[in-house]
Amino acid sequence: MNILVFIKQVADPEARILIKSDNKSLEIENKFNLNFFDEFAVEEAIRLKGKIKETKITVCTYGGKKAIEALRTAIAMGADQAYLIDNTDLDTEDPLITAKILAGFAKKEGFDLILCGRQAIDDENGNIGVMVAEFLKIPHVSAITKLDVVDEKKMLVENDIEGGRETKEVMLPALFTTQKGINEPRVPLITGVMKAMKANIPVIDPTTLGLAKEVIDKNASKIRIISYETPKGRPPVRVIEGETPEEKVKKLIQLLREEAKVL
Amino acid sequence: MSKDIFIFIECKDGSIRKSSFELLSKGREFAEKLSSTLYAIVLGSGIQDITEGVKPFADKVLSMDMEALKDYRWDTFTDALGYLIKKYNPSLVFGASTITGKDLFPRLAARLEAPIVSDAVGIELQEDGIKIKKPIYGGRIISWVSTQNAPTSLITFRPNSFSIEKKQGIGELIEEKADLQMDSRINVIKVDRGTSKKVDLQEADVIICGGRGMKGPENFRLLEDIAEILGGRVGASRAVVDSKWRDYEDQVGKSGKTVSPKLYIGCGVSGALHHTMGMDTSKVIVAINKDPNALIFQYADYGIVDDLFNILPVLKKGLESLKQEA
Repeated sequence: MNILVFIKQVADPEARILIKSDNKSLEIENKFNLNFFDEFAVEEAIRLKGKIKETKITVCTYGGKKAIEALRTAIAMGADQAYLIDNTDLDTEDPLITAKILAGFAKKEGFDLILCGRQAIDDENGNIGVMVAEFLKIPHVSAITKLDVVDEKKMLVENDIEGGRETKEVMLPALFTTQKGINEPRVPLITGVMKAMKANIPVIDPTTLGLAKEVIDKNASKIRIISYETPKGRPPVRVIEGETPEEKVKKLIQLLREEAKVL
Repeated sequence: MSKDIFIFIECKDGSIRKSSFELLSKGREFAEKLSSTLYAIVLGSGIQDITEGVKPFADKVLSMDMEALKDYRWDTFTDALGYLIKKYNPSLVFGASTITGKDLFPRLAARLEAPIVSDAVGIELQEDGIKIKKPIYGGRIISWVSTQNAPTSLITFRPNSFSIEKKQGIGELIEEKADLQMDSRINVIKVDRGTSKKVDLQEADVIICGGRGMKGPENFRLLEDIAEILGGRVGASRAVVDSKWRDYEDQVGKSGKTVSPKLYIGCGVSGALHHTMGMDTSKVIVAINKDPNALIFQYADYGIVDDLFNILPVLKKGLESLKQEA
């Protein structure tokens, strides 16, 4: 079975982020990780490999040269092969473009199953996985919390729906996005890290994936960044003084009613 | 070119979701400024009550009442909403960034090759078009974005982004039908509604959130009681969920849910960046923690420095008597 895992390298949640003077670009401290939700996708692929014979796990990202580090993390965990589709000078804010490129890669590479995290923790969009499925005309299930193999052509998955949980049987090829709770992603072993350091990661030119340059370049973007700003900070906290819990609570309720008007 | 606005209406347990009314209210404001038509889109089966319910909020109600739309599925809903968008050519389609919205809108955007902005918290009208407000990097940066090169734009908004305004509309009902394809490659085997909680965490007006300071799962009863008095929901920090004191669906934070209730009360929550990223857009934040140096106080409007086990029972009593007065 061929499993594709699409990943993204994202800024560490604690990385310093500054808005550049043009107000339209960001300067991010050099602290990047494999996206939190993508770790679940890589882990689930490795688990499937343990259950289905002759399974190959291919990870791929559309990113800058730096993103090779995140691909190496996936190999260190246990993926077999990685590809970087190089977005130098083409990086885009439009998920339609990224999804088209990844779908183009999937078509070229061939696959039975595609996994990816339910969303990236940087742009917090959560569009790419579902869009790739639509471009490939395959079924998808969002934010799965459980995956079982029925046979090589069929999977049983669980995900949350409004007000409950659903179990679905899905024919492959299909795409699933992974949610926290599906597994506990492993920490790579030193042998894995050694293997990843030596792994050959081919760099792919996105224009070789059957898409014309005009479809993927910056002019094709349907999303335009107007500006970035930092959120307005809150005034300093008002600590409520009082001798007893009763006094403090009384004052709090009064403030929430009369000042904040939320009770 | 059309300037019309579509609002995708969502229901839960047979009633219209609060977030749908929020979107209708914002849509109304835009429709007036643009002199365009506001459409409420109701998809489902046996949906007369829902179409009646949205009439006062919209100019027109497009209803597609079909057996194939009984339960949400991306296949039939993408077909149905895609059909209506092609037929009516709205310039804007608003949805909520709920489980359904996050599943349906990207699929639809890819189908229509329409630009999408997800999990937005605001939208403004400018001379040269729209300006959409969207937090990124866990709310540490606000991005303002616009869409271009396309007749229709899709936008999902975080629940609690807009206030609900009651307007007397006429809501002319238009019944539609379409050819809907149920994807035979997906077969729903089981639906478990038992895990459902009364108030959706992201839609809750009040969230009372417990951290590790709650000391154990049994003490969350204190929070449940207060949440019930206030008609709110109990949330939990990552540490609490990782310790299996509460379910993942309760988790507020970067890897959990992003919430912006009118009132957030953090109890024994330290305020790690991971957590504050998921709640710092709340309108009013109260922190209760015995450690005066807890980070949560940097995000709070009001703080009580005390043992939460001294405070919560008193708070419960105080809120109870407040409720009785009202």
